[in-house]
Amino acid sequence: MSTTAAPVEWQTDVDAYAQALRELFSDDPAFDQWRGVHHATTEDRVRATATLLGHLYAGGWNRFGWPEAVGGLGGDARHRAALYDELSAAGLPVPDPCLLMETLANPLVHFEPGLAAEMLPRWLRGEEWWGQGFSEPEAGSDLASLRCRARLDGENYVVSGSKLWMSSGATATRMMCLVRTGTPESRHRGLTMILIDVDSPGLSVRPVALASGLNEVAEVFFDDVVVPADRVIGSHDGGWGVAMYLLQFERAMYAWLAACVALRRFYELRDRVMTNGGLPDGATRRLGECYTDLVSLRARSAETVRRLSAAEAVGPEASVDKILLATAEISLHDLARDLLGDHFLTGTDDGADEWRHDWWYSRSATILGGSSEVQRTILADHVLKLPKENA
Amino acid sequence: MSGLDLDTITEVTASVREVFAAGTGAAVLAKALDELGWTEVVEADPAIATTILFSEQGRALASSRLLDDVVLNQLGSVLPAASGSRAVLYPRTGATPGTVGILLGAVEDDTEIVSMAMDENGNASWCLRPASDFTTEAITGFDPTCGWSLARTSTAATAVAAAGTSWDDARAAGRLAITAEIIGVCASALELAVSHTSARHQYGRALASFQAVRHQLSESHAAIESARNTLAAAYAASPEHGGGAWAAKVAKVRAGQTQAIVMRRGIQVLGAMGLTLESEMHRYVTRAAALDALLGGHAELAVEIGTELLGGAAPARVVTI
Ligand SMILES: Cc1cc2nc3c(=O)[nH]c(=O)nc-3n(C[C@H](O)[C@H](O)[C@H](O)COP(=O)(O)OP(=O)(O)OC[C@H]3O[C@@H](n4cnc5c(N)ncnc54)[C@H](O)[C@@H]3O)c2cc1C
Repeated sequence: MSTTAAPVEWQTDVDAYAQALRELFSDDPAFDQWRGVHHATTEDRVRATATLLGHLYAGGWNRFGWPEAVGGLGGDARHRAALYDELSAAGLPVPDPCLLMETLANPLVHFEPGLAAEMLPRWLRGEEWWGQGFSEPEAGSDLASLRCRARLDGENYVVSGSKLWMSSGATATRMMCLVRTGTPESRHRGLTMILIDVDSPGLSVRPVALASGLNEVAEVFFDDVVVPADRVIGSHDGGWGVAMYLLQFERAMYAWLAACVALRRFYELRDRVMTNGGLPDGATRRLGECYTDLVSLRARSAETVRRLSAAEAVGPEASVDKILLATAEISLHDLARDLLGDHFLTGTDDGADEWRHDWWYSRSATILGGSSEVQRTILADHVLKLPKENA
Repeated sequence: MSGLDLDTITEVTASVREVFAAGTGAAVLAKALDELGWTEVVEADPAIATTILFSEQGRALASSRLLDDVVLNQLGSVLPAASGSRAVLYPRTGATPGTVGILLGAVEDDTEIVSMAMDENGNASWCLRPASDFTTEAITGFDPTCGWSLARTSTAATAVAAAGTSWDDARAAGRLAITAEIIGVCASALELAVSHTSARHQYGRALASFQAVRHQLSESHAAIESARNTLAAAYAASPEHGGGAWAAKVAKVRAGQTQAIVMRRGIQVLGAMGLTLESEMHRYVTRAAALDALLGGHAELAVEIGTELLGGAAPARVVTI
């Protein structure tokens, strides 16, 4: 399909767009090269799935969901959600760069459309992807305590400090970082969001392996890294507002995307164990329960995606999405571990390897982007408006 | 009543901890235990001795073939006298017993491998074969540092003795020792979680001062204590009081459930750090999983217990005052 042939009606007709995707994935044999592929390293996986983005872009497919002004073909969050769902239903991976695109590209488009127009197309083509630099060694759950400093010096900022747990950090070419521009005590008031190129002098990256052995995250060190002031996203000292805007997409879209992938993995697990015979006691019921977890997560998450696409602000209630996601991820991967049994523990084939990696990664569902405990506190404080624990 | 007083237990525990801290290696371990006068400790109170030894092995995340001694100890009167060293081939769920199994450590070519085999009528018997009859492959997978290997043979073995109840006895003794080892792994993991959350601050407070974190640590503690008590009760129960194989099964189920709780909570309260190779937590998680699966995982054994109860089993009380 050529870009110009993309029917303009798809901008408003998500069903027709999804239907066309279904046909594409079943008809175009080129997609087979991304199906069922095992990657030995995260770096390989990210690069390989980025080429899938390139292939989608060539047909204009993944340009839906992004404004025309920044290289998209119009439409909204529902289009992107449909793409992740159709990819997963067709047994294809959701390209790794999409995870951070959901989180970082939305605030970029909203606050800096100029930068977005310049940079987003390359991301959509799978030619570059970015990391999110929020957490630090001493600032995890308490994000507002972060200390990585940016000092304004004429036309530039000079950044010093470090960031930890950056997803795709080993391969990202730019990093959107939340840095301290106010006094150390300024908490969320003295923060600025800034975009830093990885090849800047003074920046170094140390990949960090999860227990699976895969370098899913990285630590990044900034030693007086010079960043032009026009790379600020939003305003000086306005970083917290940008982060809160961003968080809507991180919570809503990440949950949807992860739910799509989880459903694909659920069916892969089902297919694998249905021929086993002699499943352990309770397996049937747990499969049914896990499936129900996934469907109710999708139901909740779809609702949130629709609200986002209608430009409604998504607030603390999105913690429900995160809690449901964590529940579903944990239940799916514990189920896989239990049903695969000895094969999970000692199997030497790629499939066993992948379930072990995914099991470890699934443990981050209750930690990353606000832990289970923090999500429950948000609901208690801001939705249920209970008396505060520390009042 | 224990044949060892509290001071002696404390002292012995500390010494065994040092032995494991110094690093194992079959020869080193045997020599160090010898120097400790281990045989006398075992004679004075075999249950406590085994509990200490295996808890400490778990705590240190060490691996050895000490479990073989526990199992073989039950077979003294069943197997012909050994001419050299022996090792146990542990059954693997779903595999034909006797031809495929798990070895817990390195063996010499002339080591005799003791395995249990089942004939078509379900009669169990003991087989002896030299290690040279087996090919081995290191077990990697989830717990790559377990030091175990998968051993296979195509050599037919002649049964040297009918297993009778000795299989139940040997397996029960093994399960109790593994229970102790899981408890040790869990205790260490909980210590790591406690020290991490006490030292790390967020929002100006130690993580361990947040109720949501405190509850998870307390829940882990309660789970470990219950496993300890169940293990001690299983050792104390005489066969006519539901001890032996039945109680050992119950204890191993409890230990398996305990590790599931402690590891899940432990990972959670450590945050991202607990998911990395840089923290020790993953080693506790994977070792506990390997030990849980050895001689029957907790889910499988719980189903066995349930099935037996539904079948009308009326075990005695197991625990008496
Ligand atoms: C796989 C993975 C990918 C990640 N990717 C990124 C990324 O791309 N960019 C980025 O910036 N960060 C990333 N993170 C970091 C993630 O956002 C942090 O791990 C998270 O914010 C928690 O911080 P922490 O790990 O320091 O845990 P801590 O804050 O130290 O928390 C440890 C434990 O204490 C509990 N706790 C903390 N505070 C409270 C409280 N007030 N009340 C009750 N309990 C509390 C937590 O719930 C948790 O159980 C990633 C993490 C993982 C695991």
